[in-house]
Amino acid sequence: MSSALAPLISARDVSITLFTPTATVFPVDKVSYSVSAGRTLAIVGESGSGKTVLNLAPLGLMPAGVACDVTGSIKLNGREIVGLPEGEMQAVRGREVGVIFQDPLSALNPMRRIGTQIAEVSEHHADLTARAATAHALDLMRLVGIPDASERLRQFPHELSGGMRQRAMIAIAIAAEPKLLIADEPTTALDVTIQAQILDLLKDLQRRLGMGIILITHDIGVVAGMADDVLVMYAGRMAEVGNVEAVLTAPRHPYTQALLNSIPDPASRVGSRFNGLPSAPPDLGSRPKGCPFAPRCEFAMDTCRSARPPLALVKDGSAGHMSACPPKLGQAVLRAAS
Amino acid sequence: MKVILQVEKLTTTFAGTVPGTRIRACDGIDLVIHEGEFIGLVGESGCGKSTLGRTIVGLEKPSAGRVVFDGVDLATLRGAELRSFRRAIQYIFQDPYATLNPRQTIGEALWEGLSIFGIADQSERTRRARKLLDLVGLQKDAETRYPRELSGGQRQRVSIARALTVEPKLLICDEPVSALDLSIRAQIMNVFLNLQQELGMACLFIAHDLALVRQAAHRTLVMYLGRIVEAGESDSLYHFPAHPYTKALLSAVPNPDPRVERTRQRIVLEGELPSPANPPSGCRFRTRCPISKADCAINDPALHSSSADRVVACHYA
Repeated sequence: MSSALAPLISARDVSITLFTPTATVFPVDKVSYSVSAGRTLAIVGESGSGKTVLNLAPLGLMPAGVACDVTGSIKLNGREIVGLPEGEMQAVRGREVGVIFQDPLSALNPMRRIGTQIAEVSEHHADLTARAATAHALDLMRLVGIPDASERLRQFPHELSGGMRQRAMIAIAIAAEPKLLIADEPTTALDVTIQAQILDLLKDLQRRLGMGIILITHDIGVVAGMADDVLVMYAGRMAEVGNVEAVLTAPRHPYTQALLNSIPDPASRVGSRFNGLPSAPPDLGSRPKGCPFAPRCEFAMDTCRSARPPLALVKDGSAGHMSACPPKLGQAVLRAAS
Repeated sequence: MKVILQVEKLTTTFAGTVPGTRIRACDGIDLVIHEGEFIGLVGESGCGKSTLGRTIVGLEKPSAGRVVFDGVDLATLRGAELRSFRRAIQYIFQDPYATLNPRQTIGEALWEGLSIFGIADQSERTRRARKLLDLVGLQKDAETRYPRELSGGQRQRVSIARALTVEPKLLICDEPVSALDLSIRAQIMNVFLNLQQELGMACLFIAHDLALVRQAAHRTLVMYLGRIVEAGESDSLYHFPAHPYTKALLSAVPNPDPRVERTRQRIVLEGELPSPANPPSGCRFRTRCPISKADCAINDPALHSSSADRVVACHYA
């Protein structure tokens, strides 16, 4: 999080409440982060940790029928976007923030040609004529590495492979040259050899366009290769945040350590037991008084269950390395990890 | 160890989108599984690994080759004999939510399997169902619950328990943990390891995660475009891959240590999997292979032993 530049996006104490037809849930609870130009922040967590809602709800990108209440502050290029009316939000989406979704097949319109879907973004946001937008779409398709771009322009999403669809999705996201790109599990649905190609593409585009990237993922390997900073979320709260090397090699939160520990160790004996965590994360309808991770935590003390441990700078850590775990336990986690 | 499953030159084809064409999803596969053995089958989507599993269990009909289970060629079985064989091999799917009946409680799902197995007495069924729930790590109150009330990990435990109701000798698991979170994945993998190590069940484990398979499986087979391209003892295959595809597959998996990940040399494969309707001539991997030579387009490499416990289909490996 250390950067001399003013951050592109800066979120402070963001909390989100979702009202579904059957329940009220609290998927995001007081989360803060910032991302500067040319940097990548990875947001890591398991399903239900709130990592996707945190990024999509403030942009008005929740499914129909789900009402949500966002509190706190999110400044994008210096402008507050919490509470922005839908009309103004439309100009933010696409132009200032591009979004890549996990499943390109459901995010693309199946009835429209790929070229048209890319061109309409530049037509809408960059005020290009239809002809200029089509030419721009062709350039974008070449930029994201789609072969035979002029032919592919006329194809429909179902005619493309998963990897090519994800490239088309990226072309749409960057068509209006946004300063910030939110990539929600961009490679989870892809095979590893294709994942490697897409991650290389994102890094290359970031270098060329100077974008800030928020990468939402559950894959620690992807984080290690892509991110400058990492935010680990558990049950809607920040567990740990800091420079990627500090968090992944000297973790101070037991949840981060458990995640790292769950990665199969290539040196383990064949047939040996896998390391994981007992039981399952809490459901998001409950708001535990203490640390939400305490029931699964091997280090937990009585105080962890009664009061929420504050997010604080870790002892002798690198700049900006914070953990929501009491310092005494953080030291024990660090010893266990090394 | 006794051989329980022998697959010989198994080929499964599907009609292509162009009329008159056939897609060879599995093309002449040989495979042997011994009693109590844990076998990993890896490859990318579209390589034919699920089709192979589905053909073994009888969900697809082979167009050539044989599946021999416990010494019996399955193509010769009809009626009651075929039904009794179906018990011996059980299949576990990736998405347990799609395979469990949403209107059936977990108890009912298990009792159904047990009554098919011939256990008519309700109190005996209940006793066995509870034992199975315990075996896969579920509380007995799961019995009265519906699939929608359970988490993904719990549902996968139920589908494993249900497969076990008929006391199979071989489990075919098709990506059973890919939809689960990392911390839950370990719990389910340990259930499979327990079944294999404590009950001596054989397991054909289909997955795309090589690190996961290395830790669980005795032997690993790597598939590419309908063929097995490399097979051998898991640990040595993982650490010393011979086929250029296996090397690339392992190299594509990112390392969780940022200091290693940023400096390591990677093999990034160009392009994508060619269409199985129209596979490349000669070696099927040559269009993406970093070491292919002119003769790879002409000569189709057969699987041959490259070392003590390793077979490879490459002219240059």
